[in-house]
Amino acid sequence: MKRVVSVSLGSARRDHKVQVELLGESFEIARRGTDGDFEKAVELLKELDGKVDAIGLGGIDVFLWVRQKRFAIQDGLKLMEAVKITPVVDGSGLKNTLEREVVRILARETNLIKKGTKVLMVSSVDRFGMAEAMSELGCDVTFGDLIFAAGIPYPIKTVEELEELANKLLPEITKMPFHMIYPTGKKQESQDEAKVQKFAGYYQDAEVIAGDFHLIRRFMPSGLKGQTILTNTTTPDDVAFLKEKGVGTLVTTTPVYEGRSFGTNVMEAALVAILGKPWAEITPEEYLGLLEKLNFRPQILNLQ
Amino acid sequence: MATHEEITESLRVFTEKYNKNERLKIMNRDWNRVVVVQATDVDSQHTLTLVDGVVSLKEGKASNPDLTVISDSETLADIFYGDITPTGPYNNGTLRIIGSEDDIIRLDFISLMIWGE
Repeated sequence: MKRVVSVSLGSARRDHKVQVELLGESFEIARRGTDGDFEKAVELLKELDGKVDAIGLGGIDVFLWVRQKRFAIQDGLKLMEAVKITPVVDGSGLKNTLEREVVRILARETNLIKKGTKVLMVSSVDRFGMAEAMSELGCDVTFGDLIFAAGIPYPIKTVEELEELANKLLPEITKMPFHMIYPTGKKQESQDEAKVQKFAGYYQDAEVIAGDFHLIRRFMPSGLKGQTILTNTTTPDDVAFLKEKGVGTLVTTTPVYEGRSFGTNVMEAALVAILGKPWAEITPEEYLGLLEKLNFRPQILNLQ
Repeated sequence: MATHEEITESLRVFTEKYNKNERLKIMNRDWNRVVVVQATDVDSQHTLTLVDGVVSLKEGKASNPDLTVISDSETLADIFYGDITPTGPYNNGTLRIIGSEDDIIRLDFISLMIWGE
């Protein structure tokens, strides 16, 4: 049996372990949260190094891709560098491939996303593939990176402006302590009430709200009118939360096992374990081919 | 070590750059804040006031600032002239900012928006 472990800076309350069969091979996939404790995450990574088949880094991105440019988050790199033997991934390779494809599948096979659909992406520099795919499709997209990361009520409306601002800001923002730009640990279990109120209009105006689940959750107002959420890493508790807020449909980009949609870091780690080659040598085409063989499809859950 | 006059000039350049940036003014229409800039090694205090997206500069220290930016004179002049970004000095403790975390992040974004790339 192959073992894949996701070490997350997120809450340990979301820990879980499942056994699945992928292409005839048994996998034990586990998630271990460190409640935002950076040093604890480093220790856990060192402890697992060489003892499991692949490691995913959760609750943090290491690489942000903006078209062909790659920006490295310094705190994420420190975690990655703690692992010397086992392949370690942050999910960014798969995210860029899988989420682009998911948007195309939803446009082709459902009525959820089409030309003109009003989409709010709570963050898009961590999901540039999805952002580009939405934009190429002709959706009316609001990129909320400045709104939700910096509290600046400035909706970015084009991929070009998103790219321009990303190139200006990311070289420095990636050096900031990660907890300043993203909710880690216990913050993932609460909402930022001031911003929920201040930015509620962006959620209410959208038909589809997409992006990182912890950000979506942290700023989500009550009284939504059947909007669609496009995300992953949701638990049964999260589904109940979304229902209570008035969400109509939940689409998760990664497979659901035992009620949990895993993070892309976990899935990428599993794919790396299947491919059995160094992460840096894996191409987007190989990921796509494998996703097809595994028949990974977006999961659509009606909540109303 | 920079002089009080050099810090004043760097802040004037920063203020001018900011006010010429229409996008930044739109971004900060909701953010009325008083920011005190204070040097640790020379007697130099300034106040930046943001109202309806426009920033103004005064010498001296306002009594109830929302944010206080504290560093040595050289670092302050370098930051406000755009020679260095605030991230490095902030991370290594050379630059201290007193205020809410949300305001600190926003101030950081603003300075990067002026000088970034």
